[in-house]
Amino acid sequence: MEHSPTPVTPNERWLAIFAGERPDRIPTDYWATDEVTSRLCRELGCRNVEELYTKLHIDGLVTIDPPRTDAHSPGDSTADLWGLRRKLVNYGEGAYDEFDNHPLAHMTAVEELDAYPWPSADDHDYDLFRDMIAHAPGHRMIRSGNFEPFLLYCALRGLEQAMMDLAAEPEFAGAALEHMFRYYFELAERTFEAGEGRIGVTYIAEDLGGQSALLMSLPQIRKFFLPNQKKMADLARSHGIHVFYHTDGAVRSVIPDLLDITGIELLNPIQWRCPGMEREALVRDFGDRLIFHGAMDNQQTLPFGTPDDVKKEVLENREIFSGARWVCAPCHNLQPVTTTENIVTMYETIHAHGAL
Amino acid sequence: MPTIQTLYDAILNGNAKAAKEITQTSLAAGANPQALVDDTMIPAMNEVGRRYEANEYFVPELLIAARAMKASLELIRPLLSARGAEPVGRVVIGTVQGDLHDIGKNLVGAMLEGAGFEVIDLGVDVSPEKFINAAREKKATLVALSALLTTTMHSMKAVMEKLKESGMRGNVKVMIGGAPVTQKYADEIGADGYSSNANAAVALARKLLAA
Repeated sequence: MEHSPTPVTPNERWLAIFAGERPDRIPTDYWATDEVTSRLCRELGCRNVEELYTKLHIDGLVTIDPPRTDAHSPGDSTADLWGLRRKLVNYGEGAYDEFDNHPLAHMTAVEELDAYPWPSADDHDYDLFRDMIAHAPGHRMIRSGNFEPFLLYCALRGLEQAMMDLAAEPEFAGAALEHMFRYYFELAERTFEAGEGRIGVTYIAEDLGGQSALLMSLPQIRKFFLPNQKKMADLARSHGIHVFYHTDGAVRSVIPDLLDITGIELLNPIQWRCPGMEREALVRDFGDRLIFHGAMDNQQTLPFGTPDDVKKEVLENREIFSGARWVCAPCHNLQPVTTTENIVTMYETIHAHGAL
Repeated sequence: MPTIQTLYDAILNGNAKAAKEITQTSLAAGANPQALVDDTMIPAMNEVGRRYEANEYFVPELLIAARAMKASLELIRPLLSARGAEPVGRVVIGTVQGDLHDIGKNLVGAMLEGAGFEVIDLGVDVSPEKFINAAREKKATLVALSALLTTTMHSMKAVMEKLKESGMRGNVKVMIGGAPVTQKYADEIGADGYSSNANAAVALARKLLAA
C-alpha cells in the first residue's frame, strides 16, 4: 500500500478502519485508571493526556458528553443523577469508586419504579456541549454517548438482586431498564443533533460474559438487552455515528446476535484467554464483519508478564488479525500493577511493527 | 411457572417461597432433617451445578436456586445443630483485602453450603489476620479466598504467608479463585487448589478434604 504523503491523523485512521479500509497502520487505543495515566505522564515527561498519546503514538478517542446542569439526583442532593452515592475503596497502590447505596433495592412493584426520580435529558447543557465539541482537537475522533443500562441497574438494585431479577422478576427488571432507556435515547438524540456531524463514535455496552461463560442466558440477553441496544445503534447510525461495543468475558455465543440484532461493527475487549474467545476462530467466523478492539491481555500478560511477553503478544496479535481489522489496546483499563515498561513496550512495538 | 411439588423442584426452579413452605410441611410431618439435606437438597444443588457447568443455567438461575436452598436450610439448620450433626466440612470464605467484589465468592459459598459444608462467610475486604483468626476460632479445615482484581490478588499470597507464620498451615487446606486467578498462581503461592467456577469449587473442596 502506498503511503499518503501527508500524515494520517488518528481520526482518519479510525474512519478508515470503520469504512472497512486499511489505514496506514494498525490503530491503537488507550484504557487506563487515573492512577496509571498520572504515573505515565509523570514518568514519561508529558504534561497532559494529549502529549502522552502523541508520545506513545496512541490514536485515543476524545470523550465529550453534554454536561449535566445539575450533577445530582432530583431526589437526593448528595447522590449522582441516578441517586447513587459512591465511596472510595483503597487497594494499596490506588483506589476505586464503589457504590455505597442501592436505591432500588427495597422495591417490589413496578409502580414504585414509576415514582422514582429518574433523570431527564432536559438536565444537560447542549450549548456548552456544542462549544466543547467546537474546541476539541480536530485530529482526534470524538466519542459521545454511553449506553450500558444493566450495569447501572446492578448498581441501583444491588448486583445479586439485579441478576436474580432477570430470572425471577422479569417485569420489574424490564420496567426499570425501560425507564433508563427513555432517558438515554432522548439524551442521545439531542447529543447527536448538537454534535453536528463531528461525533465519530458512540459507546454501547453490557457485560454479558464471565471468565468462562455468559453471565446470563441468550434468551435473557435477547429479551432484556438487545432490542434497546438496536434502537440506540440505529439512532447512532442515522446520524452517521459508528458503534463501539464493549462486553467483557467469554461471549463467543452471543456475537452472532450482536451482529444481527444490535448491529455492532466493533467488539471490545476480546479477552482471548477466555474459552470460546480464541482469536483465530473469531477472525475466521466474524473477521469480515467485525473490528476487533483490544486483545492485549490485561489479566496475565500486561500486569504479570515481562516486556518480552508483551512484545510477543503484540506481534502474535498482528499476525492473527492480519486478515481482519484490529485496534491494538489493552483489554479494559490498565491497572497500577502493570509496569510503565510493559505499557511503553506495547505501544512502541505496535508502532514499530504496525504498518499495513 | 409449574406447580412446585417437591423441595427438589423448588430449589431447581429457584422458588424460595415454595422451598420454605415444603420444608415447613415436611418437618411438621416428621421428616428427618438430615435426610432432607442428604437426599433432596444436596442432589438438587448438584443438579443446579451440573446445569451451570453445562451452560443450561447461568448466574441468575444459580442465584435463585441458592436463595431457595438457603430458605429451606434456615429452617433445617437449627434442627441439625440440636442433634449435634457434623457438617461435611467447615469452610472460612472471603474476598481478600482491598477487594469488594463478592458475587463469585457468594456463589462458591452457596454451592458449598448446598453440598453440606458449613460456610463461615467473612464478607469482603478481609485481612489475612481475619482469615486466620476465623479459621482458628471456628476450627475450619478449609480456607477459600476470592479476588476479582489483578491489583488485589496478591493479598492471597499474604494470607498464605500469615498462615505459615501462625503455625496453622498444617491444619487447613487453601483454595483460591476469581477472574484473574489461575492454577499457575495457586502453585506459585502454595495454595492447595484453584477452581474456575462455583460448581468445580465444590468438587475441589471435597477432594482437598478427602486428601
